[in-house]
Amino acid sequence: MIIREILALIAFLVGTFFGIFGMVGLFRFRDPYSRLHAGSLCGTTAVFSYLVALLLLAPSLASGARVFIILVFFLISAPTGSSIVGKFIWESEDATRQRSAMKREDKSL
Amino acid sequence: MNSRRVWAILRFVLTTLFLYFVWVLFTSDLGLFSLLFGLAASVMTAALTYHIFLPEHEANLRFFTPHFWALIRFLFLMVFSLYQSSFQVVKAVISGNTNPRIVHFRTRLRSDLARTVLANAITFTPGTMTLDLNDDHLTVHWLLCSTTHTKAAGEAIKTKLEHALGRTWL
Amino acid sequence: MTEFILQSMLVMLIIFAIGTLLRLLLGPTASDRLVALNVLSAVSLALLVLWGIRIGRTLYLDVALVYDIFGFLGFLAITRFLKDRKEG
Repeated sequence: MIIREILALIAFLVGTFFGIFGMVGLFRFRDPYSRLHAGSLCGTTAVFSYLVALLLLAPSLASGARVFIILVFFLISAPTGSSIVGKFIWESEDATRQRSAMKREDKSL
Repeated sequence: MNSRRVWAILRFVLTTLFLYFVWVLFTSDLGLFSLLFGLAASVMTAALTYHIFLPEHEANLRFFTPHFWALIRFLFLMVFSLYQSSFQVVKAVISGNTNPRIVHFRTRLRSDLARTVLANAITFTPGTMTLDLNDDHLTVHWLLCSTTHTKAAGEAIKTKLEHALGRTWL
Repeated sequence: MTEFILQSMLVMLIIFAIGTLLRLLLGPTASDRLVALNVLSAVSLALLVLWGIRIGRTLYLDVALVYDIFGFLGFLAITRFLKDRKEG
């Protein structure tokens, strides 16, 4: 029992470390891509570590099995969500660049 | 004609089995009514959607049935590379020197499922994030870029993952 | 010990939620807000699981499972809506 709690404490500390630096990156970087890298990747790692800690602390088999299923599906859904956001940033930056290029052409004419 | 009919029936059965497995997993209720109702719902849903769930051109069982041990090994590789890549991003946050670029390259994996999993796994490798997947053409944003040459960038990002995935699917 | 870990985890998750909300309110462009929303959805998933473990009821975990699987459909809807509005 005590081993489980120590392992959960280690996972909690690792998750806190990555989460705090993810927050720092979210406020320190200037462009949306770098913010997406810092926030999404470090946030995923922090939440993953927290879920591992909660899996170790689960009171019964039923809740433990559910937390395990959530853990596996989180590995699939987290990169899918960040990929959707990344594609949106890519397309919107493309649109703004084209619009500014068109404006420049208008001025030169 | 005949082989197409056999393949359609096989796809229908596989879709039904998958839906029924997910039903039992999520309800976690082994009563008779629940099991029968889930079976009926799975058969109905599979009859309507099997041609979308498994397209006809994916005519190989290895395209979507993974090797079990290779899949487990791949999951552990994903978790390990998740921590490794977060550590690299933390180092970039502290030092503040990044070199963001967008690189394009192709993959040689053949099944749709393996390509999707590759695109998701690239997000977990150090400092990369998949923006778009179009047939076999991947667009990747690379935070800690060292080269822009297409072939070198592709080799640096995907080689390890492609080997592991090629052992799991086709 | 267990109670202490759960309590401090709750405090840390609330701090992360406040940080992402700040980014959500400050973010100059729609992309920044969407990035913050992406992180906030993961944090709220962890909060749901934490509450389910702490209370000891599996109902919260079922809700968290469905939220986990269908969460990114909301992002698809938001991005589609913003893109259409930009083009139109």
